[in-house]
Amino acid sequence: MMDGMEDVLPSETNGTKSGRSDTVDLNDSTLQVDISDALSEREKVKFTVHTKTTLPDYAKPEFSVVRQHEEFIWLHDRFDENEDYAGYIIPPPPPRPDFDASREKLQKLGEGEGSMTKEEFSKMKQELEAEYLATFKKTVAMHEVFLTRLAQHTVFRNDHNFKVFLEYEQDLSVRTKNKKEKVEGLFKSFNKSTDEILLAATQKDVDDYFEREKTFLLEYHMAIKDATTKADKMTQAHKSVADSYIQLSSGLSQLGTIEGPRLEKFINKVADTFEKARKVEGRVSSDEDLKLSDTLRYYVRDGSAAKDLLYRRLRCLANYEQANKNLDRARAKNKDVHAAELAQQNACEKFEHISNKAKEELNDLKARRVTAFKKNLIELAELELKHAKAQAQLLKSCLQSLPEE
Amino acid sequence: MRLYLIVSASPSLCPGDNPQATHLPRAWAPLARPPPHGSRLTADLFSTNPGALKSPVSEQTTTPEDQRSPEDPLTPPPPAASLTPEPHNPGTPPDLFESVAEGPVVVQGGSPKLSSVPLDLPAGGNGGEGKQQPTFFPTPLQEVSLEEEGDEPDIFDTMSSPKLQLNQAEGDGGDEFIQITVSDPQKIGDGMSSYMAYKVTTKTNVSYFRKKHWSVMRRFSDFLGLHRKLVEKHLHSGRVIPPAPEKSAIGTTKIKLGSDKNADSGSLDFIERRRAALERYMNRTSTHPTLRADPDFREFVELDAELPRATQTSALSSAGVLRLLNRVGETVNKMTFKMDESDQWFEERTQQIESLDAQLRKLHASMERLVNYRRELALSTAAFAKATAVLSSVEEHSSLSRALHQLSESTERTQTIHHAQADADFYVLSENTKDYIQLISAVKDVFHERVKTFQTWQHAQITLAKKREAKAKAELAGRMDKVQQAQEEVTEWEGKVERSQEEFERISRAIKKEMEQFDVMRVKDFRDMVIKYLEDLMTSQQQIIKVWETFIPEAKAIS
Repeated sequence: MMDGMEDVLPSETNGTKSGRSDTVDLNDSTLQVDISDALSEREKVKFTVHTKTTLPDYAKPEFSVVRQHEEFIWLHDRFDENEDYAGYIIPPPPPRPDFDASREKLQKLGEGEGSMTKEEFSKMKQELEAEYLATFKKTVAMHEVFLTRLAQHTVFRNDHNFKVFLEYEQDLSVRTKNKKEKVEGLFKSFNKSTDEILLAATQKDVDDYFEREKTFLLEYHMAIKDATTKADKMTQAHKSVADSYIQLSSGLSQLGTIEGPRLEKFINKVADTFEKARKVEGRVSSDEDLKLSDTLRYYVRDGSAAKDLLYRRLRCLANYEQANKNLDRARAKNKDVHAAELAQQNACEKFEHISNKAKEELNDLKARRVTAFKKNLIELAELELKHAKAQAQLLKSCLQSLPEE
Repeated sequence: MRLYLIVSASPSLCPGDNPQATHLPRAWAPLARPPPHGSRLTADLFSTNPGALKSPVSEQTTTPEDQRSPEDPLTPPPPAASLTPEPHNPGTPPDLFESVAEGPVVVQGGSPKLSSVPLDLPAGGNGGEGKQQPTFFPTPLQEVSLEEEGDEPDIFDTMSSPKLQLNQAEGDGGDEFIQITVSDPQKIGDGMSSYMAYKVTTKTNVSYFRKKHWSVMRRFSDFLGLHRKLVEKHLHSGRVIPPAPEKSAIGTTKIKLGSDKNADSGSLDFIERRRAALERYMNRTSTHPTLRADPDFREFVELDAELPRATQTSALSSAGVLRLLNRVGETVNKMTFKMDESDQWFEERTQQIESLDAQLRKLHASMERLVNYRRELALSTAAFAKATAVLSSVEEHSSLSRALHQLSESTERTQTIHHAQADADFYVLSENTKDYIQLISAVKDVFHERVKTFQTWQHAQITLAKKREAKAKAELAGRMDKVQQAQEEVTEWEGKVERSQEEFERISRAIKKEMEQFDVMRVKDFRDMVIKYLEDLMTSQQQIIKVWETFIPEAKAIS
């Protein structure tokens, strides 16, 4: 039965579980989707997608299924390929859960075990485990955001595939693309990008608004991509600084033992302070990552999706103009006029439809972006402030407590 | 007798800064246990007060405490009565100040990093042993006019915390002091024959120096030559000779071959490091009263002409090769000769020194890592700031764009803070620890000297036994002429045994005393260094707080 799924899967595998991810605040309670749990097994992550709904289409008001990352991608692709949705910005798919970096670090730590003391080793191990946990939480959050966006979207939520995704108890048997399909996929994207470039060069847009949008999006996309990479580097460096405090702290404690009673207390206090400071620095780094880098990253992808939308529209426009030409030619030859007329009408409708939708979507994107940035920037600043204050306080109390001679 | 206060950055010295007008001279007795506040020795040794030189204001407010430090003789005066009390005739403090005030302005150390510490010496007139050679130098010294250097911007302005300045409350510090700054690194000459010259500025009220305040130019090999001479003269008396900065072939060649205009940050860094290290070295050496009084040292700081080239410090000279061989021999000796240690104290201390050495090296390595990571952080933050600026210019929503621009500026400011903190990490923590490591190896050298004396003694004993045997044999054989000779040899070697035993015991005593002082000073220095570092760290955090506090309203203003 479905409700059995609601409970967390027992730990039959050696994975880590995340706690409940934060539920997103939804305005509309008719369809609420969240990821109530997640299990990490070796290579895969299994998400428990939990749905609560009052819509009549669904068999039950509340149910859960287990999904893997590939199934999310499958869902996204279904939306992407659907021509009906050509006028919409398709929410970007969540990135693949990537624990490689953590695993590598853990391995390196294991190799270097001999060269450090036991405490140092256990501390660094703890750090790495925390990092792993953080990555895990992040990937859960991203998958959840993807689903909630779909659920909130007035059109997408009614999509059949979406319903299947949410409801179907069995595995969706979405195999990852085999080689042939991967190559096909590659070809497709290659074609698409050349087409994009071609269109960009040849197709003149009738609407100024879209012209401007296109230029803006292109520039913006590049800038934000750059900012994201730099932000990532910065948070990484911050983390390294925090980690190096560990060695400093343990080195100092060892020094304390050697030095003997005169300096020992003093040194131990200092070593302790460094240890605490390290934790704060580590949190600074992860908060920066969460609030800053992730926001930037998300809007890189959203911007990418918007670019796709514009591309589709442009293609539509090209088709429309092509249809016009065909119609003219057909009229001139007086052959297949009706068919051509129909085609032209279709193309025209499609184009208009897309253009209208696109305008809406782009404005929506803008508003969303501004709000998201605002929220995250404020949170970032507040967190940075909090941590800096904590560290200053920590250092101050240490300095005060250090015994005078 | 009086306090000599230095206000490095201010253009004039204020007599008013001297709170203690008179000061009873203190007997420099062999009970020379220094006052607990090793004083600014610590600051001295670990250059913990980079900021002190920077701002005139902070300097002035801290000088009253700052500049006082009881002298901290690292050794008791040598038993040899070569020192005579010298009549001390200082003027009254105001006179002192006035004379100096007319003089040129004190120069800053070339960087914000280090401050040298004035060291008090006991007044000579109290039966202590100031070495006196008032007429040592025939030539009058010229005071070099010192330019005031601009303040470097850095966050350590407020760091000259009164906490670091030790009170002379106990009043057993002498009132003499000496402070040396090394500044103005200049490249003299061109190409491979060029070299770096540094201005060595000394401020002192020690009587056996001719002036109170002057400068000379010295080149790097001069410093090394000084160190070598001091080692030659004093190591066997059981003194710990502060080690001199190392030669670095790469750095030096880069400087030699590079032109002034192309001085990249790498070589500037190298020069700065070296200058700072030289300054610390000079101050450490001058702290040691015996070394300070050494004629070579005094010639080094006082002689206004170029010193004779210490050619033997060059790595490739014959003397250099000889020294290298000696070094090798000594190392082998150290490893092979296992001394029969009868003294528990030495046994313990040797072990402790060894483990201290190992642990410090490890600590130093992790400090260097910290410095590197923080420098990386500063760089990546700067890159991010630029990227954000670009983003803000592209962003079409105006208030978001403004906020992003603010973000870029805030990040830029954080970057500066990180960069300054990395410098603090380096100069306060890492370099001082490195110095400490080198000091430890100087201590090891001294211990080894003792081992050598022991060896000599043993050897003498063995030879004496042999000679006695020879004499006995000669007596048995009835060879009267040989007996006479053997007798002479026996007497000779008996004398040698006695002397070498004395020597051994003397050096053991001297080392013990020296180590006592060393320990106290070491502990003090370490504490001060760490405290200074923590304060710097705290200041960084406080500045970061300010940055973000200004940013928040901007972020909130996004409409």
